[in-house]
Amino acid sequence: MMRFLVIAISVLLFYLEPIFGLFSPIELNNDFYVLVPRFLIIYLVFVAIYYDRKRAMLYGLFFGLLYDVFFIDIIGLYSFIYPLICLVASFIVKYIYQHLVVSTILALFLVAGVELLLFLFYTTIGLKTMTFTYFYQHNLIPTMLANAVFLFMFGWAFKYILLNRFNQKALLLQK
Amino acid sequence: MPQFFSNKRLIFLLVGMIFLVALISFSLRDRNHASLPEQVIKDVVGFGQSMFSKPTQYITGAFDNVESLLNTYEENKRLKVRLEDYVTLQASVNDLRLENDELRKIVDKKEDLRAYNPIQSTVIARNPDQWEEKIIIDKGEIHGVLVNMAVMTSQGLIGKVTLTTPYTSTVELLSTQNPNYRVSAVIAEGQEVFGLIEGYDEKRKELILKRIDSEYEVKVGQKVTTSGLGGIFPKGILIGEVTEVTTDDYGLTKLAYIKPAASFSILDHVIISKRTITSVDGTDGENTEADLTEGVGDGS
Repeated sequence: MMRFLVIAISVLLFYLEPIFGLFSPIELNNDFYVLVPRFLIIYLVFVAIYYDRKRAMLYGLFFGLLYDVFFIDIIGLYSFIYPLICLVASFIVKYIYQHLVVSTILALFLVAGVELLLFLFYTTIGLKTMTFTYFYQHNLIPTMLANAVFLFMFGWAFKYILLNRFNQKALLLQK
Repeated sequence: MPQFFSNKRLIFLLVGMIFLVALISFSLRDRNHASLPEQVIKDVVGFGQSMFSKPTQYITGAFDNVESLLNTYEENKRLKVRLEDYVTLQASVNDLRLENDELRKIVDKKEDLRAYNPIQSTVIARNPDQWEEKIIIDKGEIHGVLVNMAVMTSQGLIGKVTLTTPYTSTVELLSTQNPNYRVSAVIAEGQEVFGLIEGYDEKRKELILKRIDSEYEVKVGQKVTTSGLGGIFPKGILIGEVTEVTTDDYGLTKLAYIKPAASFSILDHVIISKRTITSVDGTDGENTEADLTEGVGDGS
């Protein structure tokens, strides 16, 4: 049961992202703010921290590929960024204390990293012309705020589930 | 981290990077066609996506209903005022339609640029990273959707189909920054003034209508519709309203800013217009991307 929960949550989050994407951009004082739901990568960062790095990267590759094919028609963008972020998360976590607050902040910074990488990619190949200040004010900050809300709501649950699964597996290995 | 950069890993990383760059450049070159594996993935993911998005739309629809129930009184007052105008308008429309039909019969012209078969469809996803303005809808080739068809809501034009698979299709919205995205448009009040919708002003949130002949006069507040002369879109779909008129960079033609009639932010149900008259690949299609200099000297 716990076994399938880890993958089931990632599938659920993968499908929830575009639904929350439908509510964005939001209009405030005649200005549009883009909120990008990054639920899946947040979850995968948690998987990398609390459960298994290799598995997180594998899921990252798989869902990144689906994301590439289904949404953006450029294969190799998310399927590279997702595993990379998982790898970075697992390296950083070796040097820091694995508390929930620390992992929450780490996940938020990594989301900002994803956004920054995408900004660099899209402006470099010229699909979008956008200044950094505009990106920072209208995309990055609102996105981080929205994802922070999501993290505060579900971060503890992710940690609980993944640690349980980790312990379960460790017990199985001992036998 | 010396142990991370061991030889084996370094080589693996480099090979991975090269493979990735190759893959990205390969898929960037030809984004308007989906290969068979891509189509299969799109259809499977799309099926799962519609399982999730349809219940959500049901719930948000219920919220909308409550909201409109609360506004009923205000709305009723406004509508009552309009009702009287509506009756006279309806009468004149009926009259004009009848006359139009009769005239058509006299000249024996059956085809009409305005006529189209609507395909109703539901938006199942919006590109969640929003770097590009795309939505994915639940109707595809099987339902008769083809690339470059016009997509609209009840308010007006919102975009066109850029990619189709058997069961889903991708729609690029008018608010895109793609330089090859053009829509042939007309301002038809008194006289017909033609132009091309090219580009979107991100700051003003308005479309830019270019290449208007400077002899004609364009006024603020005039309505802009599709002209049907681009080859694929039907005639007469509302695009928006003129908000500002200036001359273009070279001073040869006029340029107008158009406030879109349809809102691009929350989309759930859209209509794809399948024009009944034969389509040709004109400005609405990909012809603008073709190299026009090729075969120039053939005629002489």
